[in-house]
Amino acid sequence: MGNLELIVEKHTERIHHGLEALPTLRHGVPEGLGNKRWTGELILATYEQALTGEIPENGLEYKTGNSGGGFDVLGWKSHAGVAKVDEDSVDLSISLNKRHEGRRIEIPLPIYGGGMSFGSISLNFMIARARAARKLKTYTSTGEGGYPDQIVPYRDHVITQVATGMFGVREETIQYAPIVEFKYAQGAKPGLGGHLLADKVTSEVAKMRESSMFTSLYSPFPFHSVYSVEDHKKHVDWIKTVNPRALVSVKVSTPTDVDMVAIGSYYAGANIIHIDGGYGGTGAAPEIAKKNIAMPVEYAIPKVHEYLLSEGVRDEITLMASGGIRTADDVAKAIALGADGCVIGTAEAVAVGCTHCGNCERGRGCQVGITTTDPELSQFIDPEWGEKRIVNLFNAWSKRLRMILAEFGLESIRDLRGRKDLLARYK
Amino acid sequence: MTRQTIIDSRKTLPVPDTPSVKQEAEGGCGVVGLACNVPSEGKYLLQSLVQMRNRGNGKGGGIAALGLVAEQLGVSEKILREDYILQVAYLDKSARKQVEDEHVRPFFRVDYESKVEAVDDYRSIPGLEVEPPEVYRYFVRVKPEVLEDFAQKNNLSTLKRNELEDEFVYQNSYRLNLQYYSSLGEKKAFVASHGKNLIVLKLVGYGDDVVKYYRLEDFKAHVWIGHHRYPTKGRVWHPGGAHPFVGLHEALVHNGDFANYHSIVEYLAQRNIHPLFLTDTEVSVQLFDLISRVYKYPLEYLIEALAPTTERDFEMLPEEKKKIYRLIQTSHIHGSPDGPWFFIVARNDVEKNAWQLLGITDTSMLRPQVFALQEGPIKIGIIASERQAINAVLGRLQQDGKIPSRFADSYWNARGGSHTDGGAFLFSAKDGEDGKELECADKFGREITLPEQEWLHGPRADLALNVSVALQLPRKGPGGQDPLGFYEYVRPALRDAGFQYAGEILEELKGLALKGQESRRFAIQTVSLLFDRIYDTGYKKRSSLLQLHHEALNEIFSSVPSSNYDLYARLDWRNRLRLAHPGLDSQVLVVDALEFPVEGDESAARFVVDAYDQGWKNILLYNLRGHRFIGSGLGPRTNGLKIDCYGDVGDYVASGIDGCEITVHGAAQDQAAQILKYGKLVVHGDVGQAFMYAAKGGDVYVLGNAAGRPLINAVGRPRVVINGTCLDYLAESFMAGDPYNGGGFVIVNGLKPSFDGRFVEQEYPYPGGNLFSLASGGAIFIRDPNRNVSRHQLNGGRLVDSTPKDWELIRPYLEENEKLFGISIERNLLTVDGKILDPSQVYRKVEPTSLQELT
Repeated sequence: MGNLELIVEKHTERIHHGLEALPTLRHGVPEGLGNKRWTGELILATYEQALTGEIPENGLEYKTGNSGGGFDVLGWKSHAGVAKVDEDSVDLSISLNKRHEGRRIEIPLPIYGGGMSFGSISLNFMIARARAARKLKTYTSTGEGGYPDQIVPYRDHVITQVATGMFGVREETIQYAPIVEFKYAQGAKPGLGGHLLADKVTSEVAKMRESSMFTSLYSPFPFHSVYSVEDHKKHVDWIKTVNPRALVSVKVSTPTDVDMVAIGSYYAGANIIHIDGGYGGTGAAPEIAKKNIAMPVEYAIPKVHEYLLSEGVRDEITLMASGGIRTADDVAKAIALGADGCVIGTAEAVAVGCTHCGNCERGRGCQVGITTTDPELSQFIDPEWGEKRIVNLFNAWSKRLRMILAEFGLESIRDLRGRKDLLARYK
Repeated sequence: MTRQTIIDSRKTLPVPDTPSVKQEAEGGCGVVGLACNVPSEGKYLLQSLVQMRNRGNGKGGGIAALGLVAEQLGVSEKILREDYILQVAYLDKSARKQVEDEHVRPFFRVDYESKVEAVDDYRSIPGLEVEPPEVYRYFVRVKPEVLEDFAQKNNLSTLKRNELEDEFVYQNSYRLNLQYYSSLGEKKAFVASHGKNLIVLKLVGYGDDVVKYYRLEDFKAHVWIGHHRYPTKGRVWHPGGAHPFVGLHEALVHNGDFANYHSIVEYLAQRNIHPLFLTDTEVSVQLFDLISRVYKYPLEYLIEALAPTTERDFEMLPEEKKKIYRLIQTSHIHGSPDGPWFFIVARNDVEKNAWQLLGITDTSMLRPQVFALQEGPIKIGIIASERQAINAVLGRLQQDGKIPSRFADSYWNARGGSHTDGGAFLFSAKDGEDGKELECADKFGREITLPEQEWLHGPRADLALNVSVALQLPRKGPGGQDPLGFYEYVRPALRDAGFQYAGEILEELKGLALKGQESRRFAIQTVSLLFDRIYDTGYKKRSSLLQLHHEALNEIFSSVPSSNYDLYARLDWRNRLRLAHPGLDSQVLVVDALEFPVEGDESAARFVVDAYDQGWKNILLYNLRGHRFIGSGLGPRTNGLKIDCYGDVGDYVASGIDGCEITVHGAAQDQAAQILKYGKLVVHGDVGQAFMYAAKGGDVYVLGNAAGRPLINAVGRPRVVINGTCLDYLAESFMAGDPYNGGGFVIVNGLKPSFDGRFVEQEYPYPGGNLFSLASGGAIFIRDPNRNVSRHQLNGGRLVDSTPKDWELIRPYLEENEKLFGISIERNLLTVDGKILDPSQVYRKVEPTSLQELT
């Protein structure tokens, strides 16, 4: 074996071993693992679910974190007296196109993978995500770094993102996609565009984005071709000219007038409005922006949901929420607040071994091969292994979702939407 | 002191009980205005509004007309000049008597009143879903005793009579609006307009619906403005929320969306002005009225108050102006709209009896705007969100025989917040020796004039073929001269001879087109050259010649049969389903785009994709009327495909192309060549906003200017020649690698065609303050022999002299540029003050410096 192969073999073996051993708690919960939102226990519970595909049974906390806010202070009301339904018959599917025109797309669970660009993450992790999306019959998104050739075989399950820097956006990448996602903003750093620091702009990344190696890439904060709502409509029409069959998703952050943004997007032809709150994002967000700007997603969801209801268009557009959705319980709470489904980012990374060390923006920061384009480190995620881990995690989540719904006597996840009455302040 | 008393007098006005929260989110719209030295009919404005329907969503539209015709209104000239036209829209017809009893009869001497004409059934206008209000028009003067009383009670006795009367009318309308529209409860009526010689009509629908519903097709006015709204909030839309809004003697329409609506509301509240209709546009015109009528600022300062001059443009102002502008900015910054915006204002300057059309754009140059001027039997100025709208108006006027050409004599963009033109232009219909005269000037009062040239008179039939001329023309056909040779041959005659000669050549060429395939090709290529090229037209207006060429081209294209056995085959909307494989590889598909939708699945752009999929490699589109996305959807690797565009090509042309070649015979509009990957684009005119945004490559040649933000965020290897210049933000965040090693660059020549067909230097090769901002790759080569460009115009780059190596790099592109446009390297580019200089003395280079990272 060559040297690289030996290195990869050694590290992946150790990583896999660790991911199996840690959730057994025979070493306890490592001090310093995680933070208040992604607690050590929650990270281990996620490893467990990614390993087994089942809800953890060793007492690991798998539903919530310890942040003292957000979804962590929302709990489920008692369901005493409600006739339970059979868990296995619960339907978790949602529709991604509720308009009268256009392709019908349904996904069997209310989740798809969020945009993480090639450059911010390794190609192997990207392939793992694409494979998982295919297996689960849902979608993953390319993020704004372009559409690597190795992802093309999975194109039926890949959303192409058109972001403000339009990196790697070409007609064929738009034509591959069943859904095109306009990223106007991201919750982790609203008011700023994407950041990819120099160390991660390897020759491969530079080639994909047609820029120079090891020069930082900053996307602009607005689309320079869109400075008003009729410009946005033109923008959507442009994509529809390139790919008339594609559905359109508009991804925005959560400013105070997020409801206006949502209705504007609806009128301009969007099928999905995707609001991205501030809890998520990769580590590549400047400290000052991280988590300190824009509305928390648990406020934004009901605001948009209720507004779209009052405008009479709620059932013509799909509302997806993202930004730190960590568990099946978070997904259910988001839906109870008014979303149709959730877009998942970090949890997928945790499934393949993310430890929340926060070194994502560095060239060799990610020791487990997720948020790195280093030729050596990026080999640590085997795409097939990664696929299994992500699929297992979402299978476990599906079981938990069915459990919640069954206990409230609901037969479909769509019936959970807007059921704020099922939520209570968590003690 | 008197000005403050006006403000103080408003303290007694009741304040609305609803909170001043913006009710409608705006953002999008299409705006247009036209001004003419003679009254023009509403049907011409209608054309531009129909053209721009895709900029609105049918939830609001309106027009204003200024400088009206007394007979049409049923009043005398005196009444038209002296009375206020109080125009009230009744949403509830039964409210009229009460409204009149409370707000009209007690205060006004009504010299004439009438119901504004409308169609019988609003449903006869397709798409109109909400019944428009019934509008009554009252010609009024304030009763003297009422005015006295008003002056006494409000301490306004020192005001001049007309100012007093103005203020009374203003306050009275406010009360009416407050009571019958703004307060909680049903909306019953509102004042649409109340100025002199000015009317506003608006409804829930499109702007062109207003013209149709209120039967304005034959209604005449010197100045018109129109608007389509694109509101996105609210399920019930009210006509009161549509534009235009009025101050007193002015009406305003607006494209854009403010970020600081609340700040402006606060500013106005401090001056006892409270919004009633709760949109950005209303506060814009309230600001306008405050600054012009109450504060009596001259127009230049008013514009500065709304769109302050900043950054390097401020530095470039003369010291005098800097002092005054600094004071204006300090006082007005909180009342200055922030965000993308473009205003078109119709204003009656009553004192000067001047009817004005004003276009003002925001300091950051974020909205598209085009200005145009044509002088012929009438003089007409037009302002719009897009060139297609302008040409739609001119086209209709030309068809009706009112003007000689569908092309303006001059088109230009304003540079928002600049020292060059102040981001504003004014067309003013003033009293002249013989009726009204139309003048055009920028913010600083600098006049835009056209040279004295002759326009095309009379119908075409007069241009009969002169036999002797026909014999002089060179023998045609494949064995004869090539189109370029023919063009060079007739050039001197085109300068010296009259329209007759030009017409005769075209007759000959049109005849040629019918004679066979090769001669048709010769004819098309030759007339295209006559249309595209810049040459001396002598005493004849170029716009008139363009009209002749345009007509000839259309005739030649229309004469192409639909059969599949000719070198050319034509299809149009009606027979589009006959699209099949080309008979020969070299066959040209000629598409009459006129009836194709501008966007959508059935659009001309998608038809081009279908044709390409069928195997067509040569596609020619004509009668383009703002059709968008031409060239999009073709997918990867389209080498060998050639597309020619004739007419007014719409936004996004050549976006995403990968290998093909697109030629635009005319100007392109906004978002052209977005993410262009590979291939060739040639534009025989200007390009609009955000040209080549995020482009990855391409060999691109632009004859004219680019607007704001060309090549922003571009990567890879675009190689671009812009023969004009641009507004600002050229190549911001350019990431195009190393030009010497397969990277990209932009050559800016800073030239413009003179009216006598030469290429002359523009005032500044680059006028803005944000050249090559934050760029990390690529380079700009700018033609700057006078060393006009300074390093203060850069933002992170470095300005150096060019080297022989640079010349070797860019020369091939300038050679191609010469072939395409006739701009000679030797004579036009390297010759300075009569001497041929070395390229390194003519071209300077802007290259990136290393940037500090933000971590």
